[in-house]
Amino acid sequence: MSAMKKYKDLVEELRSYEGLASMFAEAAAGIDAAGDSEAIEAARVAHLGRKSKLSQLLRSIPELPNEEKPVVGKYGNKARAALEQALADRKKEIEGVQLEHRLATEQVDITLPGEPFPRGHLHIINQTLWEIEDIFAGLGYRIAEGPEVESDYYNFTALNTPEGHPARSSHDTFFVDGKEDVLLRTHTSPVQIRLMEKEEPPIYAIMPGRVYRRDSDATHTPMFHQIEGLAIDEHITMADLKGTLETFMRAIFGADRVIRLRPHFFPFTEPSVEMDVSCMICGGAGCRSCKNSGWLEILGAGMVDPNVFGFVDYDPDLVQGFAFGMGVERIAMLKHGMTDLRMFYDNDLRFIKQF
Amino acid sequence: MKVPISWLKEYVAIDMSAAELADRLALTGTEVERVLHVGLPVDDGNLDRFVVGRVKKKGAHPNADKLTLCEVEVGDGKVEQIVCGAKNFKEGDRTAVCLPGGTLPDGRKLEAAVIRGVESRGMMCSESELGLSSESAGIMILPEDAPVGTRLVDYIPFSDEVLELEITPNRPDCLSVYGIAREVAAITGAALAPEPTQDVEPRGGDSIEELITITVDDGELCPRYGARLIAGVRVAPSPTWLKARIVAAGMRPVNNVVDITNYVMWTLGEPMHAFDLAKIAGPSLNARRAGKGEKITTIDGTERKLDQNMLVIADATKPTAIAGIMGGAGSEVSDETTDILLEAANFNGPNVMKTEMALGLRSESSTRFEKGLDAEVVPKALAMASRMMVELCSGRLVPGEYDIYAEPRSEQAIHLREEKVTSLLGIVVPGAEIEAILSRLDFESHREGDSLHVTVPSFRADVEREVDLIEEIVRVFGYELIPPTLPSDVRVMGGLSPYQSAERKIALALTAAGINEAITYTFIAPDFADRLRLADDDSRRQVVKLANPLSIDQSVIRTLMLPSLLMSVATNLSMRNPDVNIFELGRTYHTVAGEKLADERRTVAGCLCGSLRGESWMHAGRETDYFTGKGIVEAVFSSVKGSFSVERCDEPFLHPGKSAYVVIDGKRAGYMGEVHPLVLEAFDIDKPVVAFEILEDALIASSAGIVIFEDLLTFPASFQDIAVVVDEQTAAEEIIRVVREAGAPLLRGARVFDTYTGDQVGEGKKSIALGLEFRSPERTLTDEDVDGARAAILAALGERLGATLRG
Ligand SMILES: [Zn+2]
Repeated sequence: MSAMKKYKDLVEELRSYEGLASMFAEAAAGIDAAGDSEAIEAARVAHLGRKSKLSQLLRSIPELPNEEKPVVGKYGNKARAALEQALADRKKEIEGVQLEHRLATEQVDITLPGEPFPRGHLHIINQTLWEIEDIFAGLGYRIAEGPEVESDYYNFTALNTPEGHPARSSHDTFFVDGKEDVLLRTHTSPVQIRLMEKEEPPIYAIMPGRVYRRDSDATHTPMFHQIEGLAIDEHITMADLKGTLETFMRAIFGADRVIRLRPHFFPFTEPSVEMDVSCMICGGAGCRSCKNSGWLEILGAGMVDPNVFGFVDYDPDLVQGFAFGMGVERIAMLKHGMTDLRMFYDNDLRFIKQF
Repeated sequence: MKVPISWLKEYVAIDMSAAELADRLALTGTEVERVLHVGLPVDDGNLDRFVVGRVKKKGAHPNADKLTLCEVEVGDGKVEQIVCGAKNFKEGDRTAVCLPGGTLPDGRKLEAAVIRGVESRGMMCSESELGLSSESAGIMILPEDAPVGTRLVDYIPFSDEVLELEITPNRPDCLSVYGIAREVAAITGAALAPEPTQDVEPRGGDSIEELITITVDDGELCPRYGARLIAGVRVAPSPTWLKARIVAAGMRPVNNVVDITNYVMWTLGEPMHAFDLAKIAGPSLNARRAGKGEKITTIDGTERKLDQNMLVIADATKPTAIAGIMGGAGSEVSDETTDILLEAANFNGPNVMKTEMALGLRSESSTRFEKGLDAEVVPKALAMASRMMVELCSGRLVPGEYDIYAEPRSEQAIHLREEKVTSLLGIVVPGAEIEAILSRLDFESHREGDSLHVTVPSFRADVEREVDLIEEIVRVFGYELIPPTLPSDVRVMGGLSPYQSAERKIALALTAAGINEAITYTFIAPDFADRLRLADDDSRRQVVKLANPLSIDQSVIRTLMLPSLLMSVATNLSMRNPDVNIFELGRTYHTVAGEKLADERRTVAGCLCGSLRGESWMHAGRETDYFTGKGIVEAVFSSVKGSFSVERCDEPFLHPGKSAYVVIDGKRAGYMGEVHPLVLEAFDIDKPVVAFEILEDALIASSAGIVIFEDLLTFPASFQDIAVVVDEQTAAEEIIRVVREAGAPLLRGARVFDTYTGDQVGEGKKSIALGLEFRSPERTLTDEDVDGARAAILAALGERLGATLRG
């Protein structure tokens, strides 16, 4: 509201002294007319400054006749106070307009990208490993690790795969030059033996790590990752193995997955099974990924063979347990849809940064 | 192992489709790779369009000399006119006729056609057209008793489903059609026919012992050796039905003698060998180890060097077969062969495997023997093969046989506790069910209280223990009946160890700093040491070498992470990825004198190339330098609450002025710095790279552990800035150390916020500006407190480092 309007009643009052009303009206109009900070300052100097009419009037009070003194004092000061207030109000008003104007002109293109803060990506293999580790940590498993340059004894013999065993020929082993019985481990199973040698049951552990096989194409890389699990206790059963695997599969591939066990052969477990999970891509109806069977082969497992217990001095009549093992790349591929294993190890950032 | 369904059905009466059977096999332990179809397609009545025909009239084609024009009876009194390109038949011959609309195995469809002006309604087929051989000289002539008009498939199995099975190495008994039949009978309950091993009567007044001497020198490698003689055979192509079987099983028909040995192998799982008796010197055979330097040319025409670990079948002068693996070319059966020595033997599996691997030679025979076969099948195989040779090759079984079997198999029995079945499986399998399953698998059992006394059949050498029997029971009983449970009695704690948690923190600190995780191969090219400019006596040249690498580029195991990461940087730059910031949590591998295995050191390493922040429309990226690397290393240490100091570094692969050792507790635990330009060149990298590599054990051990609370809130701190001028050579770290010592106990923080060299401080000098933080846990500090500490600091700096307060 303009000062003229706001102080209409005051102006009427001021008419009680000759000239004061018009003086006020002039000042109020000047304040109202001020359009920016400089004009406000000019109005303050003109109407409230030392040389302003009002200041001069107030300064002249001592020289006025006695009867006029109180009137001029009272109304003059009232007018001064009102003008100061009007000036402050007007100033605020102008600043508000100026701010609005500034904000209105400061509009940015909100669709431009934000300031890039660096964020690195964990390799998808490691992300998958962590996920699996966390699931089993929740089931009460520890994480055990072991050497990659391994002896024949731990990689084969103690796993009930003696020299000449037909299962050896399928492993495509890398051997270390100059040392007859040293090799790059072909699976993480030797860690099971090392763990059992070192500790007494109960043992609940998973064993992740790099393993090596002498093979290279779209579905084989000479180095890849496995994760194995081992549970040894007094009453561990095949039913516990089945339940553990089902829980794991549902945790990693979704709550509506079902599993099935098929008999298989591994030297270090008996009975041995392969585990299939219902295809998460087609839901079991059959698709390319599951070769129209509705099932995806995921891992091998079984009850630890008594001969293996023999190598680590456990009594198979007192303890029993299960073991399982899987390829981490396979889990990642099924989950994320890659088809060429070699991509995992090209370390092309365009690949790594996807995950 | 390919198993044609029609062949399987000879031994087991199944009434399910091949697909259903495949499912059942898969769920009981026999993996089915796929179900194939061989021979004539079955769709839309195609099989009805192939019949046995009879050539009623063979005449000349009116318009073409090379063609014949025939009238062929095709059943039901119908006669079709057929133009034919072959001439190898006469009127009255029976042959396979494809009627118009029929589709051949290769997918070709035949229609009635006019050939050189004459209508032809059908085709008389050759063996190659029916997929029975790769080439054939003319049409197929069927035996005279072939019933005209019947469907061809009812006469000869020309259209079959074939199961392609993957047999696990513990079940060599399933490497045979009869073995699979036995398995199928057990898992489906279908009736099993007896083994097709009925013998044939010998004829003649001679005997095998008079005609050849056979001995076994090495009974360990050859536990059993059986042989028979078939005299007067006529070597010729096999009859069509046999060819069809051989083809369906995925083999190649050769001649009747070879086809019979293969047929018996496929049926019973026992590899056999046929020698031409006339080509055996002596004639005598001996199963012995090869002599040093002995050689043999095998039937594939390759000369092979033998050694004393290999078993051979030798005649009087030389090895004439590599036992169980491949026969020699010298005694191979040919068209002129008349007398055949038929071998069925049992060889030591592990030894066969060793020999195979040493020679790089595998065959259908050796892949069976390597798994350890049942010695009891030897006489059965000889009986079956003899009968077939007599029937199909017009041979005569010479009286007598060799069967050298020093230590006959003793009966295997296992004690099976029902309670163990329950405790291992977690489900009760009723006793009667256990007995029924064992009986179907050919295990005899009788009850002894709560246990069973179980006798193992000879062909199941893989079953030795109670637990093996339990596996047999559960796989037939069905895993689907086992309930899913979780271990109910877990008394241990799971989770990550403090070390493993720390490793994750390190990885997360690095990703939070914008660095991506790589996983590189641990094996690299041996020239990495040269490329890194390592000195000749650098211990990191002592690598673990692979004996059988895939290539020279992956033939040694790294002793430093750097080369693996530099290769990844180079790859990424070549892919035009502009900023390559990568790290890896991996291991390096070091040989240790006197130790068998390597010293594997867990290491966190990284390479920074380009900018960490990346360019944006807002600002240009900042190129990485030594201090970026150091900042990253500081972040890594901070993530595990660890700390380190630095020492000037002389690694040959780093910039000598812009690199440092990472020192923990006085010991070097890694390095950081700019990579030497010559090393970058050697790795084809044309941009600066900053690298770091820190031993994780030391890094994690440097952790301060549990943080004890310090009151930073109750009493305010006082802040002061000072700038001092020192010699240019004085290290910032040293200045800070002096400041901290002199300022104690009130000085709680000192950090460099500016450095300056130039005119204002004079030649050889630099100015360092420090922000100082003073604080007491007990009171608010007064100006006098702070001034006193500050004076002490300046005095110490002046005294110990010759520092002066700057203007
Ligand atoms: Zn699917």
